[in-house]
Amino acid sequence: MMGEARKAQEVFRATLREAAERAANGEAPRDPFWLFRAARDRCLEASEQGLQAEDIDFEEHEVAPWAASQIERLDANQLAIWISGAPDPQRTALALFYLDEFSYGDLLTLTELKPDELAKAISNGRQQFQGWLNTTVPHSEP
Amino acid sequence: MKLAQLSRRQRGLALCAPISEEKIADRAMRGAISQARKTEDFVHQQAFDQAVNALVRTIPIPPEIAEWFSTEHIIIGPRRTWQRLARNPAMLAIAIALGVIAGIFVYQFVEHLHDFPGSGTARRLLKVASSTRSIILDPIKTDAAALGDLFFMKHRLAHYDVPPEFADFHTLGARVFDDEEGLRVAQVWLAEKRMQFFLFPAERDAKTGKVLDFSGWRYVDHEGWAGVVQQRNGVCFMAALRGREKDLAPYVSKPKQ
Repeated sequence: MMGEARKAQEVFRATLREAAERAANGEAPRDPFWLFRAARDRCLEASEQGLQAEDIDFEEHEVAPWAASQIERLDANQLAIWISGAPDPQRTALALFYLDEFSYGDLLTLTELKPDELAKAISNGRQQFQGWLNTTVPHSEP
Repeated sequence: MKLAQLSRRQRGLALCAPISEEKIADRAMRGAISQARKTEDFVHQQAFDQAVNALVRTIPIPPEIAEWFSTEHIIIGPRRTWQRLARNPAMLAIAIALGVIAGIFVYQFVEHLHDFPGSGTARRLLKVASSTRSIILDPIKTDAAALGDLFFMKHRLAHYDVPPEFADFHTLGARVFDDEEGLRVAQVWLAEKRMQFFLFPAERDAKTGKVLDFSGWRYVDHEGWAGVVQQRNGVCFMAALRGREKDLAPYVSKPKQ
C-alpha cells in the first residue's frame, strides 16, 4: 500500500497503538477487520502527504502465458511501488487480493466494493501490470 | 473457450478467484472456478496471480513486526461472558423457542402419562356429559344396579352393568345412543351431585379384535369434568361429575361387597 517499508512500519505501529489504547479503555473494536481497515485508512492518509505520483494511464495488455516468467524477474520492491502507485480503491483491492489471506467475501467487506467493482479493479490491475511488465521486463523468446 | 463466454456473474467471480484453494469459501465461487478452468485465459490468470503472490511472500517482514504475529490474536476482544450471551437477542429468541418446544413436549407427555385403553372415548364422553341436559334422557327413577337388566332387555346390551361401588345410587334418567364413532353408549343421570354414568364398549386391538384390558379405576379429566373408569367383561363404566379427581376418589376408594 505504501511502496516504502519505513512508512509502512510507521502506519503499522500507529495502528497498533490505537488498537492498544482502545483496548485499554475497554473499547476494543468488535469488527474483526478493524485492524486492516484502520491500517488502510492510515496508508491512504499518509500517501496523500508528501510527493504525489503523477497520474499515469497504464496501457492494458492481455495477461500473457509467459507472465509468470516475467514476474519472476522482478524485485518485490518494484511490485510494491507499482501497487502503491495505483489509485484507490484499486490499490486496496490489489494489495489485499495478492496478500492471499482473505476470502472473496472478506475482500468485498474490506474494500467496501460491489462484486462488479472488485472484479473490475482486480482485472484491470492485472492487465495494467501486464502492460507495465511488457515495458519493464519484456518477454524474450527462447 | 474464453472467460468472456461465461455468464457475467461467473466471469466476475472468476476474475476474483482466490489464489489458494482453501480461500474458496462459497459454492458460487467454486462453481464459477470450475467453469473458468475450462478456459485458457483463466489458466494464465492463475499462473499470473500465483507468481505475484510468490513475489509478495518474498517481501521481508522486520523482526519487530513479525514478533507481533507470533501469537494468534493481536487484539483480544471483550470476553463473552454467559451474561452477555444471555442478553443477546438471538440467543434469547432461541432459548424462548426451545422453552416453548420443551413445554409442549412435557405437556403432551404429562397429558398422556395416565392414558389407558378407552381414555380417548372417555374424554369425548366427558364433553357429552358437560353439554347434556336432563330433559333429553328418558325419566327412570330406580337404583343404578337395576339398569343393567334394562339395557340388556330393552337394548340388547350385554354386560352394561353398574359396578357395586355405584350400584346404590338413585337414577333420574337414562338413554342409549350411538356416539360419533358408532359405539353404543348408555348414559345415566343421577340425583347424587348431578353425577352421570356412561357405559361403552372397551377399546379393542385393531388387528386381533381382543379387548385391551386394564385393571382398577382410572381417572380422566376434560374441561372441568372428571371421570373414573373401570373395564369389566369388555365394557367400560365411567362415573363423571363436574369437578376434579379428588371429588370422585371417595366413591372408589372402598369397594363395596
